[in-house]
Amino acid sequence: MPREHKEYRSKARIYVDILASIMKHGGKSRPTRILYGANLSHDRLMKHFGQLIELGLVEEEKQDDAVIYKLTDKGRKFLIEFIKMEKFAEAFGITI
Amino acid sequence: MEFVSSFISLLVGYYALKGYKEFAIKGLFFLYLGFIILGIGTFLRVFSATYFVILLRALEPAPHLRSLINLAGLIYTLTQLIAYSFFTATYILQAKALGERSLELGMVSAVLFPIYGLFFNPSLELIAIVMLGFITVHSFNNWALKRSSGSALVFLGFGFMFLSHLLFLFMIMEPMLLFFGQVTQLAGFMCLLVMLARVSRVHA
Repeated sequence: MPREHKEYRSKARIYVDILASIMKHGGKSRPTRILYGANLSHDRLMKHFGQLIELGLVEEEKQDDAVIYKLTDKGRKFLIEFIKMEKFAEAFGITI
Repeated sequence: MEFVSSFISLLVGYYALKGYKEFAIKGLFFLYLGFIILGIGTFLRVFSATYFVILLRALEPAPHLRSLINLAGLIYTLTQLIAYSFFTATYILQAKALGERSLELGMVSAVLFPIYGLFFNPSLELIAIVMLGFITVHSFNNWALKRSSGSALVFLGFGFMFLSHLLFLFMIMEPMLLFFGQVTQLAGFMCLLVMLARVSRVHA
């Protein structure tokens, strides 16, 4: 049986996975959807949301008694820059 | 030609620094150091070569001038070797992160050999060839795994640089090889520039 390989994700990678998940759902999404997309537990997702809001990458919005997380312009730019950098690093064999 | 190469090298170095600072991608740090040192070294060579040409036209060739030219050449080669050491370190660290334990010993010796070689081997060009050979093989491995255009361009970039050093090595026999070496070196840097342009074109 092949040994399971546990991959370490950097903080930037987790942020990007959250932002990409929101982007995938049209720029705003409920936490449950993001949770699956970013492959995180509820507690960890909430902790990261706090930091993302603080950095101005994500905005919290209330819609019909539900909380929705919206990608800001800064968040969109961060995501694009990260994708560029990821491609650059990968060209040299560096994984993020 | 070398001026363009130095500019491209500094540009790639700047991009690596940006990635290291903004996203804390540790692997990009050595890449940044390598390309910045290579860029500065190449620029200094262009500058010093132009200066010596002007000086030789104005003055009679003197022995102290010849030793000065040799010193400038030595400094340039050393900056190149330092830069290649950082590229080698990038690939070693990456291999470690991916858990290629069986290759570890070979890789460490590949880095140590050129450094120790500095004390025993008078031909610095040969050391540069050994280091660039190692880097080229690793960039080829990366391309074979990823099959992306970016990794292909990096492989071609380092491959051309490797070839240029081989041509420089044999220029004592055929002076025209210096020109071909310069062209090949520029081709290597142009590949890196194309790679940089391609990754910068990513949209959301």
